[in-house]
Amino acid sequence: MQSGSNGRVIHECGALLARSQGVDLLGLRVGYASTSITLGRDGNSITRMVTVAGHGVNHRLDQAVRALVREAAASGMAPVDIGSRLDALVRDTPRYPGWLVAIAVGVACAAFAGLFGADQRAMLATLLASGIGQSLRQIMHRHGINVFVIVAAVALLSAFLGGLGARLDGSGTVDLALFGATLLLVPGVPATNAQVDVVDGFPTLGSARAVSVLMVMVFVAVGIWLAQMLLGMQT
Amino acid sequence: MTALLAHVLHQAALGALAAAGFGVLFNAAPRALVFCAVGGALALALRTALQDNGWSLEAASFVAAVAVTLLAAGVLRRWLGSGATAVAVAGCIPMVPGAFFARALLGLFALTAPNATGLDQTLAVTIVAMLRVVFTLGGIGAGIAISLTVLRRREF
Repeated sequence: MQSGSNGRVIHECGALLARSQGVDLLGLRVGYASTSITLGRDGNSITRMVTVAGHGVNHRLDQAVRALVREAAASGMAPVDIGSRLDALVRDTPRYPGWLVAIAVGVACAAFAGLFGADQRAMLATLLASGIGQSLRQIMHRHGINVFVIVAAVALLSAFLGGLGARLDGSGTVDLALFGATLLLVPGVPATNAQVDVVDGFPTLGSARAVSVLMVMVFVAVGIWLAQMLLGMQT
Repeated sequence: MTALLAHVLHQAALGALAAAGFGVLFNAAPRALVFCAVGGALALALRTALQDNGWSLEAASFVAAVAVTLLAAGVLRRWLGSGATAVAVAGCIPMVPGAFFARALLGLFALTAPNATGLDQTLAVTIVAMLRVVFTLGGIGAGIAISLTVLRRREF
């Protein structure tokens, strides 16, 4: 969940691991904020619930966890070993350096703006503004700040810098630079997962994801609105 | 014909950049980034070609999402395993209708501004933009979900 998997993957993970441990009763509920599991064998059962610490997207960690599940299921790995391997994966899975992510996000948002019809001056402003916005997001995330507050702050900074930069550079599509710079915040993976979860038979989880996507977009709108006010673009 | 091809290639190149950039943000493996870029290019090329032939944005986005997902989950699985699904999603990200979302937001701000004028026209433009965002996002999501279901994907 914390690396961007959908509900079906969590279910398959749980079922594979449980079967490899000789469990003959399995009940699994995957929720947005918590996951609970009931295991039973020889007439005895146990139920545990864990909190989902946060939602993100991390493909390499996601793939590594699935590989671990496959290996553990095939070899009947002891639960304590699975736990220690999982901790090691979370700790050691490589990530791109922050500066590289900021540049990549800047390029992606500039390309997005180009797709909307932004001119080259606006694309350059979008690149710089969204790269700076991504850096702010990383800093605020490290400090454990509420995710929606981060979204509003990053949207405000990125939109303001994008709009200001495009205006100072003489762009004819200032509004597209302003909006394009906030596209790093568009929750594309959660939005897709929401629909996949509903299709796969997890409507509660899918609905919760959809609501969180909607809330993110509301906070993006707040940031953009404030940036427009600061730039004097409100009528 | 040349102008159409140039337009498709332009959109495909920008789609590739956007998909690869978001692939880095999603911490996709370096090898998968190449496939993300190819997926984004294919999605935008197909969508643009269909739109240039009179298709609506929503229908073209749906077909492009289906095509990219079938290609990724069906062909790339042997090289990327279950990561092929992630490539399909990253490839479809550049099709998110940000321009219409921006237009809808601008419209909402204009509707609620003090001393707003031309409310009827602004309201119509805003509602149309919002509906296009909803339908296009729905088309992309449905294209991915239906394709994955049709392929009866195995996540492990």
